[in-house]
Amino acid sequence: MAAALTIDGLEVDFGGFKAVDGMTTVIDEGELRVVLGPNGAGKTTLMDLVSGKTPSTAGEVRLFGKEITNWPEHQIARAGVGRKFQIPSVFRDLTVRDNLNVAVSHEPRVFRNLRLGMAAADRSRIDEVIALTGLEPVLDTIAGDLSHGQMQWLELGMLITQQARVILLDEPTAGMTQAETAKTADIILRLKGAHTILVVEHDMAFVRKIAERVTVMHMGKLLAEGPMARIEQDPAVREAYLGSGGVH
Amino acid sequence: MTRTKLFKYGDWGIYILFIVIVLGLPLVMTDVFWLNRIAKYLVYGMLGIAIALSWGYAGILNLGQGLFFGLGAYMVAMSLKLQSYTSLQQGSDTPVPDFMLWNAEPGAPTELCCITSGSWLWLPFQAQWFGMVMAIVLPVILALVLSSAIFRLRVSGVYVAIITLALVLLVRLLIIDAQPITNGFNGLTDLGWLTIGGFEFDPYLVSTYYIVAVSICVVLLATRWLVSTRAGLILQSTRDDPNRSRYLGYDVAAYQVFFFTVSAGIAGFAGMLYVIAAEFASPSFLDITFSISMVVWAAVGGRSSLIGAAIGAILINTIEATASETEMFREAWKLIIGVIFVAVVLYMPRGLAGLARDAVGLFAQTRDSGKTRTARSGAPAE
Repeated sequence: MAAALTIDGLEVDFGGFKAVDGMTTVIDEGELRVVLGPNGAGKTTLMDLVSGKTPSTAGEVRLFGKEITNWPEHQIARAGVGRKFQIPSVFRDLTVRDNLNVAVSHEPRVFRNLRLGMAAADRSRIDEVIALTGLEPVLDTIAGDLSHGQMQWLELGMLITQQARVILLDEPTAGMTQAETAKTADIILRLKGAHTILVVEHDMAFVRKIAERVTVMHMGKLLAEGPMARIEQDPAVREAYLGSGGVH
Repeated sequence: MTRTKLFKYGDWGIYILFIVIVLGLPLVMTDVFWLNRIAKYLVYGMLGIAIALSWGYAGILNLGQGLFFGLGAYMVAMSLKLQSYTSLQQGSDTPVPDFMLWNAEPGAPTELCCITSGSWLWLPFQAQWFGMVMAIVLPVILALVLSSAIFRLRVSGVYVAIITLALVLLVRLLIIDAQPITNGFNGLTDLGWLTIGGFEFDPYLVSTYYIVAVSICVVLLATRWLVSTRAGLILQSTRDDPNRSRYLGYDVAAYQVFFFTVSAGIAGFAGMLYVIAAEFASPSFLDITFSISMVVWAAVGGRSSLIGAAIGAILINTIEATASETEMFREAWKLIIGVIFVAVVLYMPRGLAGLARDAVGLFAQTRDSGKTRTARSGAPAE
């Protein structure tokens, strides 16, 4: 299978402190990869480096073989990387429908967007996303008035509408109820295959439900990588992250 | 009719009503003095639209909009000054503005090319069309350069306000300082009339009113179209959460630069029309109080509504003209407008436009609940 996202010796140096320190991993096309690690392991920083939010100081990021290291954020996004933030980031003063309309971003230039309405293909894609995320009843609601869970699904829906080939999800179930978490897991599982997904998550029940291969980070470095079952038994992982109490 | 449809029809209703009133006004208002006054207020209305576009839709508070207005005004005033009767009476082949003689160095030839240092800058303005084109082109170029620098560096919020504010003061100072070519504090007065195809647009003619009236209607509809396009929607998204827009692949700065520049172009156009109606250009156009007044008009009218901001500007100025002619209000007027502004910011942040929307929403609600009541009371009769 072809590599979708290659992270090769990636490093960032915050004045002597290396939050990510020579991280290397390869994520195949269509794969759903979960990144685990204790607080401060560098998981979110890794996403910042891949999405262009923070410039890296060494190493490379390649997207389908094309180097995208330290490109401006909007160009990385255009190349096919979509990102969901830990704190839901949607357009709070626009309606849910307008949020999804903005997410149709295959033509990002100003002058090409000086037109009313959108193509039928784009409209039907938005309809699919609405069905997938169950946002139908709140389409005309201002996004800032949504519940926390709905806001997270909207942001997820925007990434799908954007047609991001690689989706980075930073703690997509943070602050969710059990029912909301289950629904989120369903949405993510349905995206598997069509999109390549990289998830950072703490909720172990959720991770067990969605994970195939897991990458464990520790102090900015790769600690272990492999199937969930094996990772849970890995003594180094238990030592670093899970503690003596094991996985809970 | 659903609630959203009601809003939509209400919205278009206001636009149509506005255009009908603005274009039909000369039929009922025969006093040319007032008509000329209203023309000036319509120009202010255009400034309100320009502010609403950048502040309401892009979230960019420009406290120096007077810069673009002033430059537009000066550009066309230079051309009209050269068309003035006095400029042709200075004993030279080419027209020379009277003030240049007062500022000329001893022994300098009475020619536009070299009467004062820099007077050659006036040469192309002998063509009226040059001044009119530059009234829009110069503000647009300046806005393009300025906003590219500001937004590429991701300057935002109050810092944009401070930069624009500083810049308008700086240019005001430069204009006053360059007395030999700008007539300094006095500005450009005693201008000729705009002449198109041999027709002279006396500011007190109905035709001159119509130049302004048609202009504001066109600007209003054009900006309305602009914010309804996908680009307008994307712009609003950059106002709400610029990072989210970036991660969707949009170059946020490009959108901000585009709309900031359009707003500046409208302000320059307004400056040109103002000179045609008022027959002078003055450094007071670049006073900080004027730029802040524009923001107040837009805030009172509703900064997230183009037509609201236009109506706010026209209304406040009309009230001001009436009030300041009453002995009692002459001094107190500035205080009253200050109180109105504070009240609007505190109690109706969406301005008059927000008030109108709430009223329509309330109407829809009471009508809907009225319907359900009828349905319920009708049920037992079956």
